[in-house]
Amino acid sequence: MKGVLVKDLYIARSNILVTIVSLVVLGFGLSFLLETSAILVLAPVAATTAAFISITSDAASKWNKNVITMPVSRNQIIGEKFLFYILLAILGMLTALVPCAVLACFGMDITLHSLLLYGSIGMSACLLAGGISLPCAYLFDPEKSQIVFMMSFMASTGIITGLVLLINLVFPVKENILLAFHIVLIISVIWFFVSYRIAVKVYRKRDIT
Amino acid sequence: MTNAFMVSGLTKTYKDFVLDHVSFTVPSGSIVGLIGENGAGKSTTINAALGLIQKEDGVVSILDREELDGNVKEQIGVVFDGSNYPEILSPRKLNRVMKNIYKTWDEQVYLRLLKQFSLPADKQIKQFSKGMKMKLAISVAFSHHSRLLILDEATSGLDPVVRDDILDMLLDFVQDEEHSILVSSHITSDLEKIADYIVFIHEGKVVFEKPKDELTERYGIIKCGAAQFDALDKSDIISYRKMDYEWQILVSDRERMQKKYPKALVVPATIDEIMLLYVKGEK
Repeated sequence: MKGVLVKDLYIARSNILVTIVSLVVLGFGLSFLLETSAILVLAPVAATTAAFISITSDAASKWNKNVITMPVSRNQIIGEKFLFYILLAILGMLTALVPCAVLACFGMDITLHSLLLYGSIGMSACLLAGGISLPCAYLFDPEKSQIVFMMSFMASTGIITGLVLLINLVFPVKENILLAFHIVLIISVIWFFVSYRIAVKVYRKRDIT
Repeated sequence: MTNAFMVSGLTKTYKDFVLDHVSFTVPSGSIVGLIGENGAGKSTTINAALGLIQKEDGVVSILDREELDGNVKEQIGVVFDGSNYPEILSPRKLNRVMKNIYKTWDEQVYLRLLKQFSLPADKQIKQFSKGMKMKLAISVAFSHHSRLLILDEATSGLDPVVRDDILDMLLDFVQDEEHSILVSSHITSDLEKIADYIVFIHEGKVVFEKPKDELTERYGIIKCGAAQFDALDKSDIISYRKMDYEWQILVSDRERMQKKYPKALVVPATIDEIMLLYVKGEK
């Protein structure tokens, strides 16, 4: 699996660098308009676009047909893509924390509460979107899966809104906003794992030509 | 003699094509050429044997193992038509990728092959010609101490010089009797040069599996007119074809036929001609 991960890092390297620079610049830029920590909502989602660049590249070069003949199992191929997605999301999150930390050192008011809140929202959106789009990348052709990829981010915001509204039926979200979004995050993690299991199941039976 | 590769009763059904109980073997230390026209089922056979597509029925044994696990895959080198490596990578980066995929990856061999093929190590694969991409794929297949090479139309679209280089490498590879090659191609002249056995697939079925020498040394074509054709014993005919000015009849023992029909012109048959007569001829 390590070799496949190295391959994906090579493919996405330039995109990852652009994303890192953009997030840092955007983080500083945002501080003049709104809370800097709000960039944590955007960061994981922006960083994971590199995963789809690698999926598109795999499809273009028919890499998947080749890699299956190597000592890499189908489960490992799928597992690597999900792992790569998570790593990118974490990298995006850590990158976005850089301007937050720098501005906090200069006296900007950045609270742990806002970091946890926006971080949870960003990570939840990212995991929900990945949970939809990653299995579809192995079900549909590259054109369709790119559409699914774009739609999945919109869908994830809708799902988060729906989940928050549901939680609001159990307890008032406004008074427990952090708890509500942590519940959303836990559901997103479970959904991402379930999605991985589904992708493995689908890919195991799929003909690769 | 043990078999490096064996398929038995391999079956796969598509809407418009059936791979119908395909069976053949690749004995250790030999080169087996899988021939057939485009769409005959060569790639489907290889894909099913390698687990790329789900087979409906049949048994596949590679290097004496029916389960195609990591240990078996470690010992197989597969080359498809096209390099199938991400084009953004360079051969040097590909080396780092493969080093982390194959336990038996031999960097020294790989770098030596890159040099031997004059492949630039730091140039992106997308800037390579088709011949260079194929040489790269073959370099990868040779760099992890494979015991079995499977090449699916790997020489198609290459110029004769590159093809000849690759065929020489394949011949070198099987000098070690532990090494074997299955090569599918519709360029039968390549297989005439290197193959020990020929497996002919037509419309998803194996038509024959024979030693190449038997085909080139014993098979023949009787070229005659209508009257001579009518006089032939039909049990001697494998297949025949009516051309503009003559009849061409494929026979399995040209020397016996020459003795039996002394007035007939019996010429040796190339694998290409045998394939053509099987596909286009009547029986």
